[in-house]
Amino acid sequence: MTKPKILVVDDDPDLLRAMRLRLRANNCEIATAADGYSAIATAQKERPDLIILDLGLPAGDGFAVLERLQNNNQLAGIPVIVLSARDPQGNEERALKAGASMFFQKPVDNEELMNVIRVTLPQWHPAVVPLPS
Amino acid sequence: MDPQTTSVLLIEDNPGDADLMRLRLVEGHSSVKVRCVQRLSDALSALSREQPSLVLLDLNLPDSRGAETFRKVLEKAPNVPVVVISGQDDEALAIKAVNQGVQDYLIKGDITSKHLERTIRYAVERQALLRSIEMAQKQRLEFKNQFLSHISHELRTPLTCIHQYATLLSDGLAGPVSPDQADHLKTILKSVNQLHAMIRDLLEATRAESGKMRVEPRCIAIGDLIQQAIAMMTPTAQEKHIGLEAGVDKRIPLVYADPDRILEVLINLIDNSIKFTPQEGSVVVRACMTETDAGFVYCSVSDTGRGISPEAKMLIFERLYQDPDAVDNNRSGLGLGLFICREIVRLHEGKIWVTSEPGHGSTFTFTLPVYSLPKLLSPVVIWQNRLRPAFVLVRVQLKPVTNPPQGNWRDLWQQCLDTLRHCVYLDKDLVLPPLGSPGPDETFFVVACTDMQRSEIMITRIREQLGKIAGLHGKGTLAVSAAPIELPRAEPGGSFPGESLDEQVERLAARIAEMIVGNMEKQKSAARSNGKPRQSVIHKGDVQ
Repeated sequence: MTKPKILVVDDDPDLLRAMRLRLRANNCEIATAADGYSAIATAQKERPDLIILDLGLPAGDGFAVLERLQNNNQLAGIPVIVLSARDPQGNEERALKAGASMFFQKPVDNEELMNVIRVTLPQWHPAVVPLPS
Repeated sequence: MDPQTTSVLLIEDNPGDADLMRLRLVEGHSSVKVRCVQRLSDALSALSREQPSLVLLDLNLPDSRGAETFRKVLEKAPNVPVVVISGQDDEALAIKAVNQGVQDYLIKGDITSKHLERTIRYAVERQALLRSIEMAQKQRLEFKNQFLSHISHELRTPLTCIHQYATLLSDGLAGPVSPDQADHLKTILKSVNQLHAMIRDLLEATRAESGKMRVEPRCIAIGDLIQQAIAMMTPTAQEKHIGLEAGVDKRIPLVYADPDRILEVLINLIDNSIKFTPQEGSVVVRACMTETDAGFVYCSVSDTGRGISPEAKMLIFERLYQDPDAVDNNRSGLGLGLFICREIVRLHEGKIWVTSEPGHGSTFTFTLPVYSLPKLLSPVVIWQNRLRPAFVLVRVQLKPVTNPPQGNWRDLWQQCLDTLRHCVYLDKDLVLPPLGSPGPDETFFVVACTDMQRSEIMITRIREQLGKIAGLHGKGTLAVSAAPIELPRAEPGGSFPGESLDEQVERLAARIAEMIVGNMEKQKSAARSNGKPRQSVIHKGDVQ
């Protein structure tokens, strides 16, 4: 894998733009979706290696997206990292049970997020632009 | 039932008194329906079938006397107003009843129908009023919690954006950054982190207030936690040229506490001390035992700051308290830190307090219970005043599949621990508190009061249930094994003549501790001989 493709799902366009900039700088290809419905459609079209998913979304919240991903044979294997402003208490366990592999509360430490992506996608060679230590 | 009808349950064993009361009730109140029982047991079963508008209660019944009578009725029907019928000579008891939740009392031989009617009407109204106040309070608390949880979510969203763009700039992803700009960005990020911490405290305090805060006590070395807290706070102390050091008694026993939560308390206290201590001052964190209170370890954080006034000492742990004299500190936070500390310590059944000499510094002290295996074992291993006949030590080992471990093992292991507790009999088996801070490899031990043969059933259950969880996330492996706990035995049950039950439990505890330590040593040397110096077990002294 040279460039992993990451689908970022969030209803905040400013945050999507920031994530796009950061992930591109880390040698990733980016697809984005701003609601639950287009998240599934984009996942089907783009076949990402990883999905970063918000929970509070219009047109089917994050839990609904997780459920639909799990029920779709072609998409069920894609690892999903949940990135939400919601309280981990209650939501974290629910997200993990619904098939997410990680739960991060916003704001997330970027380095931590990159580390998790690195572990999730072991073949990925990160950072064209090196991250400052 | 017609809403105008008042249904009265009369609990009175004297038939003459009961008839008289019935007569008075009907005289004054045209729409009253009376049901009479003579025994408390009948009254309680009547109350569980149907709740009357009011209970009239004689305290001395064939099957219950005095205070016990009204307590049982109040417990059974907390929402039904109760009026006690008292004799001439025990008015004191009736007043006590009123203090404990009974609405009113009547004195036998002194009851007119008018008086009775008024007493009943007011008792019913007062009870209804009390209920509506209680409901309103509950609703208000619920609303407040929802509101706080909602705002904290709403505040986090723009905060995330500020954080993302500030880090994009500071990481140079939007072009080169000059040293001045880098410095300004650092200030922005520092403030973002402060705001983030405040939102977290707000949620935490709300949780504490509504009883939803949770602690998961483990068997931990407090000295390690103190070292960890000091390592984390040293940069902050150095920035202000304040000395920060530990003074931990080497012989301090292990404590029974939640390492994450206690680290939070230590960091909070150290942070406070640094805030209120002038440059070149010092902060010392200690842990020691006292002669008078052998069951607890005393942890303290002392500073050479400006101290706390006696008035402030009374209020300092209260929610939202702010020191009015803290003019030198423009970022004093929400005033929730010490409140959260107090709640965490309370959940550990410890105490927290402050001593201070204004102008010379303060010492915050909190206590944590000493880890005592015999104390944990006693309720389980003793049956009918004897030690149970056989014991098995079950080891449940969890390991992450990937190395380095991927992400959420912490929550996964917690989920496993919760499940493990559902796999055992609470009165016959004991899931021992895990050792040290949670790590990517976890080993849980269960003391099962059974023999090897029967323990197989438990082990199968554990394998199945935990296997489901570990398999669900594809992230962990599970190994379960068991060994009998052999006690040197002079008599059946492994006891020695003349040995007290406490001594037997202590001997059992010592044997279990020995087995666990031996087990971990074996694992450690196995890991070493594999050529991988991988930390396989978190034991006393290791903190991640």
